[in-house]
Amino acid sequence: MIQAQRRLLAVWICKMLIIAGKLLGKRGSATPGKFALRIAPDILRHLAAQVRQGIIAVCGTNGKTTTNNFIYTLLRAGGYTLVCNRVGANMLYGAVTAFADAAGYGGRLNADFACIEVDELSAVKVFAHFTPNIIVITNLFRDQLDRYGEIDITIESLKRAAAQAGKATLLLNADDPMLAAFGREVRAQGHANIKYFGLRDAPLGQSEPYPQGTSPCSQRGVQPPCCTSIETREGRFCRLCGAELKYDAYYYSQLGRYACPRCGFTRPEPDYTAENITLDGGIAFDLDGTHIAADYRGLYNIYNMLAACAVLWEYDIRAVDINKAFAGYRPQIGRMETFTIGGKQVILNLSKNPAGFNQAIAALRTDTRSKTVVIVINDNDQDGRDVSWLWDVDFERLDNIPDIITSGLRAADMRVRMKYAGNMARILPEIKEAIRAALLCDSDVVYTLVNYTALFYTHDLLEKLSKRRTRFIWK
Amino acid sequence: MEITIGHLYPDLLNLYGDRGNIMALVRRLEWRGIGAKIREYRLHDDIDFAALDIVFLGGGSDREQMLVCARLREIRSAFADYVESDGAVIAICGGYQLLGEYYRMGDAVIEGLRILDVRTENEPGRLIGNVVIRSPLSSMPIVGFENHGGRTYIGEHTPLGRVITGGGNNGKDGHEGVQYKNVLGTYLHGPLLPKNPELCDWILRAALLRKGYTSELAPLDDTMEITANRAVAERFAGKMAKRP
Repeated sequence: MIQAQRRLLAVWICKMLIIAGKLLGKRGSATPGKFALRIAPDILRHLAAQVRQGIIAVCGTNGKTTTNNFIYTLLRAGGYTLVCNRVGANMLYGAVTAFADAAGYGGRLNADFACIEVDELSAVKVFAHFTPNIIVITNLFRDQLDRYGEIDITIESLKRAAAQAGKATLLLNADDPMLAAFGREVRAQGHANIKYFGLRDAPLGQSEPYPQGTSPCSQRGVQPPCCTSIETREGRFCRLCGAELKYDAYYYSQLGRYACPRCGFTRPEPDYTAENITLDGGIAFDLDGTHIAADYRGLYNIYNMLAACAVLWEYDIRAVDINKAFAGYRPQIGRMETFTIGGKQVILNLSKNPAGFNQAIAALRTDTRSKTVVIVINDNDQDGRDVSWLWDVDFERLDNIPDIITSGLRAADMRVRMKYAGNMARILPEIKEAIRAALLCDSDVVYTLVNYTALFYTHDLLEKLSKRRTRFIWK
Repeated sequence: MEITIGHLYPDLLNLYGDRGNIMALVRRLEWRGIGAKIREYRLHDDIDFAALDIVFLGGGSDREQMLVCARLREIRSAFADYVESDGAVIAICGGYQLLGEYYRMGDAVIEGLRILDVRTENEPGRLIGNVVIRSPLSSMPIVGFENHGGRTYIGEHTPLGRVITGGGNNGKDGHEGVQYKNVLGTYLHGPLLPKNPELCDWILRAALLRKGYTSELAPLDDTMEITANRAVAERFAGKMAKRP
């Protein structure tokens, strides 16, 4: 009885704190969950047990927020009620907040599904409270180093999480050799239900690394790794035997169709395959004979959409109008978000790590308009204080862009990086100044690539400006 | 004139933007009209030290370091001869630890190359953060980022510099890195060389002199590098960074 009252109190306090947070304009939502869990340590277990049909957890270095929101969007379109941590508070407290928020004032939860984005290193903690039915892992790239240590730590943590949720279906990206190796290791550990999704015949035009002999360095007779991508080297080597993987199709980072020439480790045959992929204009592919198209940019979004569809297929939910649902989807802030300021288009994209930046650069290169690029790099705790990863991004591929402006707390570091990439960028550490200068450039579109702590400020600034009539009024 | 840089085990020791260090070495030669060549060595490749002017050894995870250290024992004497004949070496983080006698983690001991009289002990907690040091090898402060669990004690050796802010070799004695002949060992990445052009040039000069190239290095326009260096030094070490 006491326990039930504590849980009710926890839900109420949590809801109050969410409202208070909203009034204060806060976007993070971990704090309410923290208080709720302190009041009733079993609150998450109790609420999660009331989910009727299934709990889906989404992990992975990049794309988990988008994938999770796609799953939410598709299931909503199917008429289901859901719990979802949409804004990306993805550690234990964030999950608690999402469940308490979805609960009624009577403390009961009315939900068919829960789709919860879970930070890789928090998965063990979160799964102590509930067992997901499906765990989607999007990819495993190197993240900010000082926060995550090494990719090995992430993999070990996910292995323990998978062991905790022994009956869950693991839905893994077959094109990522790190995940394919992970799948093998987890299978050896006794996990039975592992499925894969992947691409067939992706158009390689904008995504391949420099073809042999065409990189800026190799043209000067310098051998790799000078300016070819090495950012995901761990991934490009066989995790089982250490040999360098051979690719007969390569997309970005370590993703592609690969095989190990030494030990025979090879890409698993996907259970869900995206075929007939196109990237012109929007993006489109076929899955199991269903044509799926959306007005997004970037090959990486095909993975996000494919994973979301695979979840639906896993539950055998076929009656959803997927294309209509995707068309109605509003991207989260900073995911190739478009603003119009004084008649000029400004695209804001959040990139948190080398793979994310490389994806953004690949997407930017598919845009044929004349471009100005603003790169904002901060090094606050949430960004990772170590900025050495800037040297693992292929900024060399921003060639032919006359105007690049570096900004943020590490604007000067970024400018040195651009110098080595062959571009004498301008530096304007104040984000506002950088945006202003970019708007004044003679180009059709401004791409603003930011890392985490610069996102909300830049977003609010662009939104404010887009509501004005002309781009020349400031202050 | 052409300088050959041997990059040891980039498939295993490649944390922390090491590519930036290699790029800095190559470009600062090329910008001066001096040729540069990179040779990458995988774990079981034979290394002809006589063909190398600069050896680069980066950082890796503990697991990768174990793999490398077994191999290093086999090439120890060739490596030591190279060092004793004034060959230039830059070793960063894990690579730095491997130059010493050992790296002890509890009961496990990773045997090093024993080129330097340096020992590393694993102690609780990691030293993580921005570092600013003063070094006789550079008129401006040397800036970088450290992230290591090992504490390195350099005995009678000369440190690369004196810590102004950050942990350095062990967080206790105020030393960062080591300099022995033309060998530099340091915990600083970030990467190290692009933002510390004088240190980069010190290594290049050492390698060029050994090859009989005695003219002065042509000055380069380092405005951007100096701005970046100063931004870090002033932000993290404040006024202390300005003191000579």
